[in-house]
Amino acid sequence: MTLRVAIEGVSFWASRLPGWDIARAVILGEQAAPEAPSARPSPTLLAPTERRRAPDTVAVALEVAARACEAAGRKPSDLPSVFASTHGDLAISDYMCSTLATTPTLISPIKFHNSVHNAAAGYWSIGTGSLAPYTAISAYEYTFGAGLLEAATQAICEQRPVLYVAFDIESKGALASMAPSRGLLGAALVLTPVSKSEQQRGLILTTESVAECQPTEARSAAAPLVADNALAPCLPFFEILASSNPRTLSLALSRQTALNVQVN
Amino acid sequence: MSATQSAGERELAELIVTALNLEGVTPADIDPEAPLFKTGLGLDSIDALELALEISKRYGFQLRSDDENNVRIFSSLRSLAAHIATNRVTA
Repeated sequence: MTLRVAIEGVSFWASRLPGWDIARAVILGEQAAPEAPSARPSPTLLAPTERRRAPDTVAVALEVAARACEAAGRKPSDLPSVFASTHGDLAISDYMCSTLATTPTLISPIKFHNSVHNAAAGYWSIGTGSLAPYTAISAYEYTFGAGLLEAATQAICEQRPVLYVAFDIESKGALASMAPSRGLLGAALVLTPVSKSEQQRGLILTTESVAECQPTEARSAAAPLVADNALAPCLPFFEILASSNPRTLSLALSRQTALNVQVN
Repeated sequence: MSATQSAGERELAELIVTALNLEGVTPADIDPEAPLFKTGLGLDSIDALELALEISKRYGFQLRSDDENNVRIFSSLRSLAAHIATNRVTA
């Protein structure tokens, strides 16, 4: 199976790499990362009622989603979207589990409302007033590749541009000991089935059965800044996008399935 | 000029601002007689549930979602604080 798509817009946000311009410069070794972590982005496209309830998942996902649409020159409400996250909001999951175990009638309605894996996708569709379909996907450590494959597949099948948003936040409590994740990390792409411009980077995606997946490893100065986040496997892809040179990388879709991505 | 808050109303105003993460609202600025929902502070039904939870945790009694007096109880900071003063279990 081969899928060919082009990238119309890219965005990236991590606590020490707040924005694609900074992330790209750090990846290319053109500047050092800021010493202090940035405060979480404010989801300004939300109405005040939603904004004050928005957890970190929503804040980081909506930031990168909005920036990718901006970079692509696309109206957010026009785009179907794929939201991928390894854990969703493990901090809230931990809160829900510990409250149910101790005082089950005292669950916070707002936290309950925010606990679902598709919270970020839901807030996005409310904030942008979008009626386009959205998908929320998780594939544990294979989440970034699975989401990319899903978004590219939708772009090809539906013959329209698709917004792809991947994010993970800090896990907390007992669940963090089993599924650790630190800081905030989000990245987004607008993928289109047809390239309108020579300037756009093209992607050729192929899947391959292998004896044991050996995903491409991150190697830039940005790697240690996001290594502890569950979405860290996305970084090698953005390292290639940061450079203008064509390269091929391998992402894992399972222990024995590779997603090979040729970036032109 | 809004009416003056009592000590109980101030404490409740602080709980509302913190529990609901109200942006740009100072507890002392909440008019005790202004509506809490829709107009006024602009709270909605999810806020009402959250507020009921926080009140039961802080004051030790349950606010029931099927209480026919809820519209009156939740109408303003003053009426909610008066209901708490009458029903609170914790000091």
